[in-house]
Amino acid sequence: MAEIKPMTARERVLAALRREPVDRTPVCNPTSVATVELMDLVDAPFPRANREPELMARLAATGYTELGFDSIMPVFSIIQESSALGCKIQWEQKDNWPTVRMREPIYEKLEDVLIPDDLCTHPDTKCVIDAISILKKEYGDEVAIIGKTMGPWSLAYHCFGVEPFLLLSLDDPSATKAILDKLKKVTIDFGLAQIDAGADALTLPDHATGDLVSGEYYERYLREMHIEFSESIPIPLILHICGRTVDRMEYIAQTGMAAFHYDSKNQPQESVDIMKHRISLVGNINNPETLFSKGPEVVRAEVCKNLDAGVELVGPECAIPLQTSIENLREIPKAVGDWHKKHASVNNPASIN
Amino acid sequence: MPTVLDLGARIELVPMDAHFHEISIALYRQQEPEGPEFLVHSYSQKEGTEERIRFVIEAMKGAGNISNSVANPSALRFNCGDPHELACRRLFLDSCKLHTGSEITTSPLKIFDKKADKDLRVVSEGNGVYSVTADNPSESMTLRRIAATAGGLAKLGEMATVNDRSDQIRFECGHSHDQLVGVLLPRALNVRTAMREAEAAAARGVLSAPSAQDS
Repeated sequence: MAEIKPMTARERVLAALRREPVDRTPVCNPTSVATVELMDLVDAPFPRANREPELMARLAATGYTELGFDSIMPVFSIIQESSALGCKIQWEQKDNWPTVRMREPIYEKLEDVLIPDDLCTHPDTKCVIDAISILKKEYGDEVAIIGKTMGPWSLAYHCFGVEPFLLLSLDDPSATKAILDKLKKVTIDFGLAQIDAGADALTLPDHATGDLVSGEYYERYLREMHIEFSESIPIPLILHICGRTVDRMEYIAQTGMAAFHYDSKNQPQESVDIMKHRISLVGNINNPETLFSKGPEVVRAEVCKNLDAGVELVGPECAIPLQTSIENLREIPKAVGDWHKKHASVNNPASIN
Repeated sequence: MPTVLDLGARIELVPMDAHFHEISIALYRQQEPEGPEFLVHSYSQKEGTEERIRFVIEAMKGAGNISNSVANPSALRFNCGDPHELACRRLFLDSCKLHTGSEITTSPLKIFDKKADKDLRVVSEGNGVYSVTADNPSESMTLRRIAATAGGLAKLGEMATVNDRSDQIRFECGHSHDQLVGVLLPRALNVRTAMREAEAAAARGVLSAPSAQDS
């Protein structure tokens, strides 16, 4: 095997998203790694860090500077563009996530869906764009800066409410498709604005989650649209869907997305077996049990399980709990480094000297 | 430029201190040759944080009879050398609930129990053994409440039962920890509620997918 020259964090992430050779497996967070302790360290607490670009950038940078990840992802929440669309937001406090008040939906029918002209200049979307600009200026080509643009299915949950939208998808597939089609503009426009600001890749969460939506639903409503995103957004896209998703991984592999950010409810090996390296996998260290409740040795075991299976990028499965310990997060890059040292020494015993 | 530190295993966290700028304060456990030690730390850079941390440490010492380590004066340890981790976590959480500068007191080994409608007392029998008792202990409700409280103390303080007696528990270290028992006693009356509160606090800050949200 040809030796790979040492790479920067950015080079490593982007190569892995293209499934090209890397010097070691990148540690990548397509979603938030913010914690209350990191907020204190850099004096950038929630909710302000979700609304002020300097704080957003400062907190996000700790993923690279303090935790040793190969990426910086400043879009901690999933509500920035929903706020710009007019959804009511509960911004919460330092120790909790902002949420959309989905019991107070802003849309009821297709005709209600109007994309405001200020989508990307609204304070809560502009905050993201400005934070990415700050990070790009500060870190340049050193580390991968990952933005986030929500997919139409997630946006529809926020704007219509989960239950009304799911019922509509059962009762009126053509209206559902038309709604998703209209909301595509939000995903694309916000994504392109982040690219202009300097994003190297974009996470695209579209919560067709395993608990509520079947694989067949994904194929019916989302696959073609996700292919369209891959074609119209000119940087690597990382699709994020929570839950057990092996029943749709085949469809996801056909989308042309760069990677799938996958949940610990899916085993690494079974996921690799389906994906067959057609798109990269990133994840899938468990949040609530492992990162939040267990110790570094359990984190290490999960990291190794992913590496043994050939997963291209390793990181938490989703936005980590805000009370996660720094020790557990730092264990991820340590475990990746140790795994590669061990395997290098197995392949080339002289290399350990 | 501040940076994260290797402080050992974080075993407890107050994510927002109600008494000092909503900073986070954490309790870390370190394994030293002399035995387990505990460190109180905050990453906050706010002026006055050190004073706040000093107060929390003093409150833990005053209310729980935990001492500064000889080898590492900024760390805390129990003189018996055992960790008593669960009890120490409760001591830390209770100490963070106090205003800086407020009076530090020890908790009595006696508490009024509404269900029994009388005081329950915890008596140290020496060598780390404690008995829960009350006036007219043979009444059935009183018996039940004595057993429940002893069980609660056992759970919250990682204590063992003594010879299958429902009213006695003991610390495995064989040392008395009257002040720690006093800290645990109010929650031992209703240990299920205490556990539920802890679970609810831990669940805060965990992000749910939109499909799993209840808002």
